[in-house]
Amino acid sequence: MSEPIKVDIWSDVQCPWCYIGKRKFEAGAAAYAAQGGGDVEVVYHSFELAPDTPVDFDGSPADYLAQRKGLPMDQVEQMLERVTGIAKDVGLDYDYDHVHQTNTVISHELIHFAKSKGRQLEMKERLLDAYFVRGEHVGRIPDLVAIAVELGFDEAEVTEALESHRFLADVKADVALAQEYGIQGVPFFVIDGKYGVSGAQEAATFANVLAQVQNEREAV
Amino acid sequence: MPLPIITLAQLGDPTAAACEGDFCAIPDHHEQAIINRKLDEDAV
Repeated sequence: MSEPIKVDIWSDVQCPWCYIGKRKFEAGAAAYAAQGGGDVEVVYHSFELAPDTPVDFDGSPADYLAQRKGLPMDQVEQMLERVTGIAKDVGLDYDYDHVHQTNTVISHELIHFAKSKGRQLEMKERLLDAYFVRGEHVGRIPDLVAIAVELGFDEAEVTEALESHRFLADVKADVALAQEYGIQGVPFFVIDGKYGVSGAQEAATFANVLAQVQNEREAV
Repeated sequence: MPLPIITLAQLGDPTAAACEGDFCAIPDHHEQAIINRKLDEDAV
């Protein structure tokens, strides 16, 4: 039996295309499997799109974009409406009226904590859902602990891990590796350590890339 | 010291939607899809 194809994905919790891209990748991986493809191993890596954002940003994502980019509010609202519509196409119900714009570094620490327990994918999905769909705060330790406890993690252990920033070095190592790969935007997929796929591609693209990697392996 | 760049062969649509910095642009093909959908919806 061949080794699974490894897919390393750089992504941020507050990146709308990352969640859409996640769904498209999952659909592509499912199509690849349905065509007789082998196993795929997914590992998420941290990427901070706006590391200077305060944890308690006073305003909505629309306010944030208007302030940071100097765009007129109606244009920003139109953009968010469009992204919400695209998310709907892949089954995601984005609720920008209740999104808490924040700093995501501690949520990345929580993803690394979950990874240390072998449950990274579950936590990644839960945090994206928390941010875009449920309107939960993903920047504050108590809110993140509540999410972790809901998933069955030990409250004292996760609180200690986040308060001590035990996994911050892992977050920074991911960011440094992204720089080594020359990654400037997310989502970004590194497939089998040699192919780079940038952005929320169509599911068929992901299926084709996985099939290509499998064919190359079989040709060796 | 700057980190060395690891070279990857790029696959897929280079214009696929992505977020860079604090901005998540909507590529043209998505804009067109939205326009098409609105036209369809109006036609119903």
